[in-house]
Amino acid sequence: MRNRLKVLRAERNWSQADLAEKLDVSRQSVNAIETGKYDPSLPLAFKIAAVFGLPIEQIFSADEAAQAAE
Amino acid sequence: MPRETSPKIISNGRRYMGNMAVASVLYTAAVFGGAFAIRDESLPQWGVILAALAPLIPALLMLRAYVIFLNGVDEFQRRIQTDAMLISAAVVGFGSFAYGFLEEWAGFPHLPLIWVFPALIGIWGLAACVLRLRYK
Repeated sequence: MRNRLKVLRAERNWSQADLAEKLDVSRQSVNAIETGKYDPSLPLAFKIAAVFGLPIEQIFSADEAAQAAE
Repeated sequence: MPRETSPKIISNGRRYMGNMAVASVLYTAAVFGGAFAIRDESLPQWGVILAALAPLIPALLMLRAYVIFLNGVDEFQRRIQTDAMLISAAVVGFGSFAYGFLEEWAGFPHLPLIWVFPALIGIWGLAACVLRLRYK
């Protein structure tokens, strides 16, 4: 699964620690999600979407969908 | 690497360290107290059994501290911990199984069962460190 977490975070000038605090998770967790090493659960993905104020599909996409769009 | 800043994560870690410190002190007291008690040759068999099992109570407190800690971490950290536990269970389980055959059939020296739990904890800790590095 791909995500735009790094870009969205940079747009808001948030550090990984800032985002981690908003999501109530560890900074390491944000890093693992951001680098694609860990796919969040659906509840956490919804929480991430709520923090950024965006629909979930504007943040996360399946690898195949991202490749098709490119 | 920046440190964790979430108050919930910091307080969960502190609570874990506190609970573990109390359990460790009690464990040390139970081990030394038990070892001292069994030196008394007039101690009845049930007393020896109680002394031998006394360290289990603080060990259970350690387990409780860990369960509380695990319930306080986020899903990614929990994943690391459960994966590490699974690896440890597999390594120690298969390792002790294999060594059992070596003991019985190949005359390898007898190893006391008391080492199984420390091995489980040690390999779990090591596996958790390796998994954390993998996700860095």
